[in-house]
Amino acid sequence: MPRIGVYVCHCGLNIAGVVDVEEVTRYAKTLPDVVVAKHYTYMCSESGQRMIQEDIRAYGLERIVIAACSPRMHEETFQKTVLEAGLNPYLLEIVNLREHCSWPHSEEPEKATEKAKELVRMGVAKARLLEPLEKRRVSVEKSVLVVGGGIAGIQASIDLANAGFKVYLVEKKPSIGGRMAQLDKTFPTLDCSACILTPKMVEVARHPNIKLLTNAEVINVSGFVGNYEVTVVKKPRYVEEDKCVGCGLCIEVCPVKVPDEFNEGLSYTRAISIYSPHAVPNVAIINPEYCLRLKYNKDVCGKCLEVCGTKAINFEQQPETLQLRVGCIILAVGADVFDATKIPELGYGRFKNVISNIEFERMSDASGPTGGKILCPQTGKPPKSIVFIQCVGSRDKRFHEYCCRVGCMVSLKQAILAREKLGKDVDIYICFNDIRAFGKGYEEFYRRARDLDINFVNGIPSEVRSAPDGSLYLSVYEKSINKLLELHADLVVLACGLVPGQDFDRISEIFHLPRSADGFFLEAHPKLRPLESPTAGIFLAGACQGPKDIPDSVAQASGAAAKAMALLSKGEIEIEPLKAVLNQDLCSGCGICVPLCPYDAIKMKTERVNGVEKLRVQIVEAMCQGCGTCASTCPAGAIKMQKYTNEQILAQVHAALTESGGVK
Amino acid sequence: MSLVDLTSMAKPNKEIRGKILTKLGGIELINCFQCLKCTSGCTAFKLLELAPHEVVKLVKLGFVEGLITSEIIWTCATCLKCTERCPQKASPYHVIMALRNLAVEQGAKIPEAYLKAVSQILETGLLQTTRKVTTKEMETFDRKRLGLPEIKYPTKTFKTVLLKVLEGALA
Repeated sequence: MPRIGVYVCHCGLNIAGVVDVEEVTRYAKTLPDVVVAKHYTYMCSESGQRMIQEDIRAYGLERIVIAACSPRMHEETFQKTVLEAGLNPYLLEIVNLREHCSWPHSEEPEKATEKAKELVRMGVAKARLLEPLEKRRVSVEKSVLVVGGGIAGIQASIDLANAGFKVYLVEKKPSIGGRMAQLDKTFPTLDCSACILTPKMVEVARHPNIKLLTNAEVINVSGFVGNYEVTVVKKPRYVEEDKCVGCGLCIEVCPVKVPDEFNEGLSYTRAISIYSPHAVPNVAIINPEYCLRLKYNKDVCGKCLEVCGTKAINFEQQPETLQLRVGCIILAVGADVFDATKIPELGYGRFKNVISNIEFERMSDASGPTGGKILCPQTGKPPKSIVFIQCVGSRDKRFHEYCCRVGCMVSLKQAILAREKLGKDVDIYICFNDIRAFGKGYEEFYRRARDLDINFVNGIPSEVRSAPDGSLYLSVYEKSINKLLELHADLVVLACGLVPGQDFDRISEIFHLPRSADGFFLEAHPKLRPLESPTAGIFLAGACQGPKDIPDSVAQASGAAAKAMALLSKGEIEIEPLKAVLNQDLCSGCGICVPLCPYDAIKMKTERVNGVEKLRVQIVEAMCQGCGTCASTCPAGAIKMQKYTNEQILAQVHAALTESGGVK
Repeated sequence: MSLVDLTSMAKPNKEIRGKILTKLGGIELINCFQCLKCTSGCTAFKLLELAPHEVVKLVKLGFVEGLITSEIIWTCATCLKCTERCPQKASPYHVIMALRNLAVEQGAKIPEAYLKAVSQILETGLLQTTRKVTTKEMETFDRKRLGLPEIKYPTKTFKTVLLKVLEGALA
């Protein structure tokens, strides 16, 4: 029987404050095969680890049980510890006394101690049956798929390309640039957004290591870390990208008016258009829902064909499917802006002079629908008074409970821009409930807004009412003066927050990625692994992980790129041996496991055994994620889940239900 | 409800606050972050100075006694705008109703109009008595002239049952 060592960690007072660790250690010593049991303040500290290593040598320990925090926290740490002492790292069993015992049972220390003893008894029962396993090494593809061409995707692509990796940047819109391209100025420096973004967009297009795929979407991802197979569909533009020079003659002659998506529908473009003034690639695209020739009849119109000097227009273009092989994936699909029509009392959608903050951006942009002038949409005149309403759709349990993290700063910036553009006689009010100016230079920016005579009203109006002339009335109770203010505004701007994208459901299916309660993509650990998804080799950057401003998105993108480099630069990676293993002789080929595998890792195959055709399954080791579904359903018990074998789990169950310590 | 009222009041009373919380079924309906949206839109604020956010905050802090004896809780017009629009799903309306119930239970002075309404219902079964209506042409109509049937007044059984229900509610 193996010689077992048990180590109980105090975790400061996290465990020892509730569980009587001395009692648990005393109890562990009484369990069969336990040679040594010790407790220590911080087992993960250097001295704690050294103690375990010394014991392994001194007592000739063959299995180690560590009763501490969650294995997600320190299993790897302790695997290294035992490996250094010459023990196979898979002969280690972690018992979770913190998350599973001391934290949830802090009110009942005596019962918690009893539970801790039971958990240790179960851990020892399993440890007795552990088998040594070896990690496997596989080579990695030195290329990266970046999904989403906003500022996060652009930054990650450039970082990776400069480091010498091949990058595929997939963007679903006809141009890269994302939300940042729609902005006029950026807080807190009032840099022109286009001036700092456009050079980066051009760099992406010109970089020899970046393959830019616009108007394209990822439709399938298979494989595993280091070796992902990605299917991308490039939708037809009906314009040849390599021939079009972006002269815009076709747009001038096109007779069909289409609401301009880039300008948030505030102006019209044509059925053939260039997506934005700074589009990269600067190539026209035909909207098949509006183009007369594509929608109705092959023989009508064709005016664009006539004027195009480079013969770039091709109505016969078909969707193109590309197969990419990449080592890892960076998801940077961004976020949507909250749709304020969901809050009827604010009048958005009913009153023309109530606009969203993203619409204000387009209006304020010199290349936007009003040429940079702030105008009331209903009258076309500059407003004499503007009211901003904060927290629209965010910090609101009816819609999104989280703080959107950008709304305050966006409204401060827009108020400052309005003051600069409309002069000092215009009344500007910001109705808020907490101004959150937490970033570098942000509080100073708030101060700058007050210096510019912008009025801050501490209170949120209940509703917006409209007069026949389109001007708006709002009543706001002001907290500091305990009075109801009656505001009269020509223009109301709603600080709409960032919300999960409409296509997140589909994306999470394609990439097999979980989402957190707020609807954004879930990171592997909220504090220690914020750039990684729970799936190895898939990283998160930008607002798809949670609302973010530009500096945070760029920081996260560079971080994710660095993570990807670290993964790929080794050339090969180690794969955990915690996989399902098939016992050929027991498999009857019933195939029950095949449809149950969430990772498509099990295939049916026929084999000739002694001249007889036999149906069997085959487990693709590289694709198996070790979930154990197949092992628990196999009626013949032919599939073994490494480190979670039936024998090991039943021994734990036995130890849980009896006091025998798992020995039958 | 001014600052003076608050400071001159006794210490927070946990017991009576607990009674309100029981009526509200927990803390959710007073879990407010003071955005003042409710007071900004309150129907009863302009004329009657009902500030729902203050009512909720006072209950949260445990200053319930002053509210129960005050007339302010009887000014709510129950339009439910505050409940519909609250971004934190708190509900000043429910808090005010709980306060009214507690006020009745504790025998606090109830505005006359409310008592009148109760006796009116007992007597006539209606919230208001039938009235004559005068048109622009100075013609006066009543139910009889309009060919409407006479109103039936409630039976004795109705009165006893209603009284019993009311007593039961107070017990």
